[in-house]
Order: sequence, then C-alpha cells, then structure tokens
Amino acid sequence: MSFLEALLVGLAEARRHLGQTLLSLLGLILGTASIVTVLALFGGQTKQTQQFVAEVGGAGTVIVRDREQSQQLSATELASDRMTYEDAEYLKDNATTLSAVAPGWAPTMRYQAGDRDFPGQVIGTTPDYAIINDIRPMVGRYISDLDVRRRARVLVLGWKFADSLFGHPEAALGKLVRLDGKAFTVVGVLEREVFQFAVWSGNALEYRNERAYIPITTAFALYMGTETRIAFLTLRAATPTGARAATEQVGSMLFLRHGVEDFDITPSGAGANDDAQFFLLFNFIFLVVGVISLIAGGVVIANILIASVVERVREFGTRMALGATGMQIFAQVLAQVVVIAVLGGLAGLGLGAALTGTVAILMRMPAAVTVEIATVAIATSLSVGIVAGLYPAFRAARLSPVEALRYG
Amino acid sequence: MSLINAHGITKVYRLGRVDVPALRGVDVQVEQGEYVAITGPSGSGKSTLMHILGCLDSPSDGEYHLDGADISALRGRALARIRNQKVGFVFQTFNLMPRMTIDENVALPLQYRGGFSRRERLKRARALLERLGLGDRIGHRPDELSGGERQRVAVARSLVGEPAMLLVDEPTGNLDSKAGAEVLRTFREVHNAGNTIVMVTHDMHVAAEAQRSIHIADGKIAA
Ligand SMILES: Nc1ncnc2c1ncn2[C@@H]1O[C@H](COP(=O)(O)OP(=O)(O)O)[C@@H](O)[C@H]1O
Ligand SMILES: [Mg+2]
Repeated sequence: MSFLEALLVGLAEARRHLGQTLLSLLGLILGTASIVTVLALFGGQTKQTQQFVAEVGGAGTVIVRDREQSQQLSATELASDRMTYEDAEYLKDNATTLSAVAPGWAPTMRYQAGDRDFPGQVIGTTPDYAIINDIRPMVGRYISDLDVRRRARVLVLGWKFADSLFGHPEAALGKLVRLDGKAFTVVGVLEREVFQFAVWSGNALEYRNERAYIPITTAFALYMGTETRIAFLTLRAATPTGARAATEQVGSMLFLRHGVEDFDITPSGAGANDDAQFFLLFNFIFLVVGVISLIAGGVVIANILIASVVERVREFGTRMALGATGMQIFAQVLAQVVVIAVLGGLAGLGLGAALTGTVAILMRMPAAVTVEIATVAIATSLSVGIVAGLYPAFRAARLSPVEALRYG
Repeated sequence: MSLINAHGITKVYRLGRVDVPALRGVDVQVEQGEYVAITGPSGSGKSTLMHILGCLDSPSDGEYHLDGADISALRGRALARIRNQKVGFVFQTFNLMPRMTIDENVALPLQYRGGFSRRERLKRARALLERLGLGDRIGHRPDELSGGERQRVAVARSLVGEPAMLLVDEPTGNLDSKAGAEVLRTFREVHNAGNTIVMVTHDMHVAAEAQRSIHIADGKIAA
C-alpha cells in the first residue's frame, strides 16, 4: 500500500467523522490560529516601525548625543570641550560618508506672544536639519543658510505651537514671538506631523509639533556668549545603506577631536515606538497560547490515535496476516495523522486569518497573512501531528500478528 | 516435495516464569491440492499450529518448509512477504475491514504485494466475487451482507493473491448451519479448482468435508 493510498484512506476516515475530527483537532486549530495571528501582527508591527523610521528621516539617519558624564570626571573627560558647533562644521567638511550634518542646541525656553506664555523646547540648528528629518513648511519657509550666516532673529514654528500662540497656524507668519524675552520673527510654520502605532496610542510625532527652530548661530549669539556647545548632531549618511560606515567614521573623527568617547551614536527611530513593549507582551501572550494549544493538541491527538490503534488491533492483525509489513502499518497510522493534521492546520489558518483581519481592522494595523505565514502554519501543525503520531504508529507497527489476531 | 513439510515443531509460550508448551513436536505434511482438516479439542494447539504453518509466528524449535522455502529462520518483513505470496487466511470472525467495500476488501492483499494498479486490483477482486456468486454485492460494505456472504468475501480475499494454500480457522464457527453449509460448499468448489486447503476445526461434521484429518491433542499428533 503506497503512502498516497494511505493518505486517501485517512482523508475518507476524516470526512466520515468530520465533527469528531474537528473536535479532536481543537487544540491544533487554536494553536495554529494563534501562531498565524501572532506572525501576521508581528509582520504588521515591523512594517509600521519601518514606516515610522521612514517618517522621521529614513534608515540613513544617525544621531550623535552627548553621553551622560560619570560622577568623577577623568582628566581626559575634563579636557574635552564636549560636542560643539565646530564638531559639526568639521564633519560637514571632512566626513566623506555623510551627505548632511545638522547640529542641535536644544534648551527649554519661555514662549511669549500677545497674552500667550508657556515653556517649550527650542532647537537651534541649520538648514540641513530639515533635509535630514524630512521636515516641510506648511506656510513660509525653513531656516536658510543666509539666516545662519547673518545670525538672523527668525523663527520657524511647529504646527502645534503656532496654533497655541496665534489660534491658527497660518496667522503666525510674520508675527513676533519672544523666546526668553528676545524677539524673533516667524518666517515659517511646519506641517503637522502625525504617526499612530495603535488606535489607542497618541501621536508618536507630537514632540515635533511642539517646538520652534532658530538659526544656531543666532542662538549662540543671543544666549550663550562665546560658548558653542551643542546637545546633539543629526547626520544623513551619503547612501541609504551607509549608516554603518557613517557611524564608524563619525565615531573615530569625534574621538580624535575629543580625546575621549563622551558621545553616543544611534540610528534614528530606534526605540521610538513606545508601544513596542505592549506589542511584545501581546505577541508573547499569543505565542504562549499558541504553543500551549499546540502541545495540548498534540497530546490529544496522540491519545486519540493510541485509543484508535488499540480499538483496531484486530484490523492491524488481519492486515499483517494479509501481508502488511510493520513499515506499512506504521505508514498507515502516520498517513491518518498527516491528513487530520493538515486539515487542522488549514482550519487553524482560516481561523487565524479571520482573527488577524479583525485585529487589523480594530487596531488599524497593516497586518496580513502572507504565503510564508501560511506555509509556517501548515508546517507547524503537520509537525505537531507527526510527532504526536510517531508513538501510536510505532505501537501499531510493533504488534505481534498472532497476539493482535487472538486478542483483538 | 510436499507443499507443507513441518518436522518436530514445538512452540513454548512464556507466561511470566512459567513455560506453557502449546506444541510439543508436531510433524505435518500436506501435498499440493490436498484438503486437510486439523481437529482437536479446545486448547489442544490447533490455532498455534495454524499460525506457524501460516507464517504468522515462528516455531520455538523444529523445521518448516513451505513450497520449498525454509521458513523456520525467517522473521518480520520476510515472513510478511511469504504470508502475502503463499498463504490465504480465512478467519472464524471474517475479519473484513468494515469501512471498505467488499471489492476493496478482497483487493487488499494485492495492495500489500505492490505492482498492481488500483484498477487492476479491483478488476481481479470483482472477477473473484463474481466467481463466488457475490457479483450483485460488489460496491457494498460488509455490514450490508449476511454472515455467510461475508465469509465468502473472506474466501475471495484469501484467493485473490493466488496463494499456495488457504489456511482456514473454524470457518463456520460464527455461522448458522445453513450459512455454514453454504461456506463449506464454496470451499469444496475452491478445492475442486485445484487449491490446497488446511482447515482448523473442532467440528467433526466440518472435518468430514476434508480428504483427511490430522488430530491434535495436548500439543501432539494423536493417531
Ligand atoms: N500467547 C499465548 N500465551 C500463552 N499461552 C498461549 C498463548 N497462545 C496460546 N496459548 C496456550 O497454548 C495452548 C494452545 O492454544 P491454541 O493453539 O489456541 O489451541 P486451540 O486453537 O486448539 O484451542 C493453550 O493452552 C493456550 O492457552
Ligand atoms: Mg483456536
């Protein structure tokens, strides 16, 4: 008897007892459905994170931050000027792996316009910042090279602050805003930036709407005297895949200039998703439920198969008398479990797809069951079935024909 | 040379620490085309002897040649092959597969032999069923047939692989006398067509069907 024929017999068996088969496969179905759902949702989340990274400037964006200083400073740490505007200029002129360099000076200041008055972040930077971070003005313009050279007292407002200060963003253009008492003219208001990881979570890019940008040279001149320390550097690698090379070059250049590694270099968008933890937990729960269901399903299948083997001892004895070898009996039982495992896998795949669809709609996530996921699902349930079927099949194959006929 | 040539066959079953001798030195010879009954009281060792002659089990000691081949040393897979090619079994309880049609049942030995298409197997099975007067039952399942008809399906199954002999264990034990007579008539026809039959029975009337009887008592040939 060929394995294919055994498969057909198994299929006929499963069809004859459809309700019973489905019931015995419940664990396998639920397990497969959970695995399908978790994989599809995970795929959706990964896609979303990629979208977010693209939104905040793309994969080629790198950020350099001042490193937290230790309690007791070493001599080299004390000798370092930390990150300065000059570092930015140096990198712009010398780092071959970079296409754009923007320094950032980022204190919290007092915003005043008319009767509005609140504290908020101010970024002192250069025109490259808009290129690197994919920032577009809604009205007016961004900071220009001329602004930087002339130390112009101009200001570009984030959408939310423009709204808070002037009631409506377009109205801000040309108005005066005081930052810690010094007056600036609004030359641009930025587009509103929105990105939601989940329906219930807030706007992950809201911080970008709640700030204003001024030329970094103006910032130093008005607020810092002769000091040119900056809080961060944002860099754009020359090629989209060049972030790694850029990180290495910038790291060694800054180390040579500082004499100490008092900075941290990270790719942009990393760890930006505050909901990632929640999703991880969510995925984990689904995965645990899936694995437990699969194990339970496997145990149930093994038990049912053993019972079915015991019930059919005389059948196996008869088949052996007719010339079936142990291998053929083994294949017969295994084919039976292969059939029901594939059926269970398909049912689980259907249920998982329905679950994924529901979650995707409810959470507005781009989750989808792909061919790869479907393959993994069927392969998983098939493996569970085969593992569960090995022992019962072995038991059937090892029956002594005489005993099977005599006591069956 | 005889079809069945068994010498000094013993079979000892081990029950815990106790040895139970079921056969103690049995010689059996059956010629090609013979119809032989093995008789004896219950527990005398008839079924044990039949299992050994049918290559379902190996003797503890003794020599057994079937159709010229030395069987005593064979185990597992090799025995399965011999069973499939040389032996056709008929059991007291019919032992048909309840979820297969009777033609599928009859075709089963050919499936294990290999080398036949499903079409070919079913064609042969149906031809045999026709020959045994069960043509109008083709496509039915065993539970749709009477006991006598089921046993005749089992006879068809035992014949489909054209074995060297039929081994039959109490074929009428589960049948009323009318159905039993019907089955015995079938065996007579099968024998007349040239087949060798070895039939185990404790029923003297059934044994009278055969050309000769081998009587067993307490694991030995008795006269
Ligand atoms: N598997 C076994 N284990 C132990 N004893 C057995 C086994 N099979 C048969 N016997 C014993 O061997 C003897 C012969 O049994 P059996 O061949 O079935 O006799 P019969 O078919 O003539 O009734 C009996 O005493 C029986 O109890
Ligand atoms: Mg018996």
